[in-house]
Amino acid sequence: MNDIIFYAIVIAVKILVVLGVTLGLGAYLTWYERKFAGHLQVRRGPTVVGPFGLLQPLADGIKLMTKAPILPRGIDTTLYYLAIMMALIPAVMLFAVVPFGPSFKFMGHEIKPIVADLNIAILYVFAMGSMAAYGTLFAGWASNSKYAFIGSLRKAALIVSYEVVLGFAALSVILLAGSMNVFDIVNAQIRSGIWYIVYQPVSFILFLFCMLAESGRVPFDIQEAEAELVTGYNVEYGGMKFGIFPLAEWYLNTLGLCVIASVLYLGGWSGPHIFGSFSGYIWLLAKSFGLLFFVIWVHWTLPRYQAKDVVEFAWKYLLPISIVNLVFTAFLVYFKV
Amino acid sequence: MEFLAFSIIALISVASAFGTILVKNPIHVMVWFLVFILGVSASFFALQADLLAGLQLVIYAVAIVVFYVLVITTIPWEKIKMFDGFYKKEFFTAIPAFLLIIGSVFYLVFKSKLSTMRVSLPKDNVSALGGALFTKYIVPFELASFILLIAMIGAIIFGKEKANG
Repeated sequence: MNDIIFYAIVIAVKILVVLGVTLGLGAYLTWYERKFAGHLQVRRGPTVVGPFGLLQPLADGIKLMTKAPILPRGIDTTLYYLAIMMALIPAVMLFAVVPFGPSFKFMGHEIKPIVADLNIAILYVFAMGSMAAYGTLFAGWASNSKYAFIGSLRKAALIVSYEVVLGFAALSVILLAGSMNVFDIVNAQIRSGIWYIVYQPVSFILFLFCMLAESGRVPFDIQEAEAELVTGYNVEYGGMKFGIFPLAEWYLNTLGLCVIASVLYLGGWSGPHIFGSFSGYIWLLAKSFGLLFFVIWVHWTLPRYQAKDVVEFAWKYLLPISIVNLVFTAFLVYFKV
Repeated sequence: MEFLAFSIIALISVASAFGTILVKNPIHVMVWFLVFILGVSASFFALQADLLAGLQLVIYAVAIVVFYVLVITTIPWEKIKMFDGFYKKEFFTAIPAFLLIIGSVFYLVFKSKLSTMRVSLPKDNVSALGGALFTKYIVPFELASFILLIAMIGAIIFGKEKANG
């Protein structure tokens, strides 16, 4: 009985920590991105609110929340509000299968720093990645606006097509590790001493492409180009109702996929033990933020693809490449080269 | 504890299944259907059938329902004349069928003994299922994939005919 209570408390603590960290970090990533984009374009980014503009996310949040709530005419009210949650919840749920470090002993019990240690964690990541399409689709439809609706259809088509490529790209890593469990994947990399990015460079690059596309980042974001199309599908949303969409998609989704990418290709928490018992966590965070840095760098540097090219690029180029890569990997694994 | 979790999930699934058939707005039907699919996936998770749950999520909740939603949302519903009344004849013929099904299910549940045999779960769900599919059930598995392939080619041919003519 004691064990059950102990594990219930442990799981509750894990969920609270993950929720707090991801949502807090999600808000502060807006500061990080603005600061970074500013320096990239020889500006200074936010400087006024707090030291180095550190309180800017709070100011933004208060501004968004105190805006007048405007509802467009003829909307489907239930779905209009439900779509916000449909966008946010999959992005948060993605962090349920993120391993933040190696397992450790606490009061005689082995504890893994992950909310749900699923056998099929990678499948779950694919599922949650595409569940975001519902938020987009229903947001576009419920807004009762052709503009938002066409944007949402484009974006949903894009998410679905890149999800297929993402699946095939990650499958080759699953083949190498022989498991879909994130702990097994990282342990397999630690045991062999080589990160899978060395064995699977093609798959890693495909994964990066899909990561950019799924989280609506440049160069695959023509369907929600802020400057030209005022972000398409969520154009009828205002205030914090609008704020949730970029938070979920640009920050939480990107961060989640970055952590998963560093688990799959960059050896997760492996690295020299130079920070004591916290080194695993610090290495994982460093790798994930390195990838995040790359995503934001690309976002503020490159121009966009045309709308007709984005989905075609996925089906006609990325998918065949990923299938060839997968078959090749399967041969190598089967003949134990 | 497990029983509690499973019953909550089962209740949600049954309620959303009723929602799917009782709601009139076609888009809301899709939302209820999505809840139902997620409920089925959650009950697989509760029964420790991880792989089935994951496939249910990826194939049904994502791939299939997304395409339903894509198709149904693009139909201009306000221009379509919808039947607004109540299907009287269908409703009254459905009652005996419904009672028959419910009665036979309850009869089966109460008359037969539920299996209490302890089946040892395989340690790794994925490899156990994969092994079974590619050794013992290889013929039905390949047949099913072949039928799906034929269906896909057929769909492409029909689509092309429409586009050309």
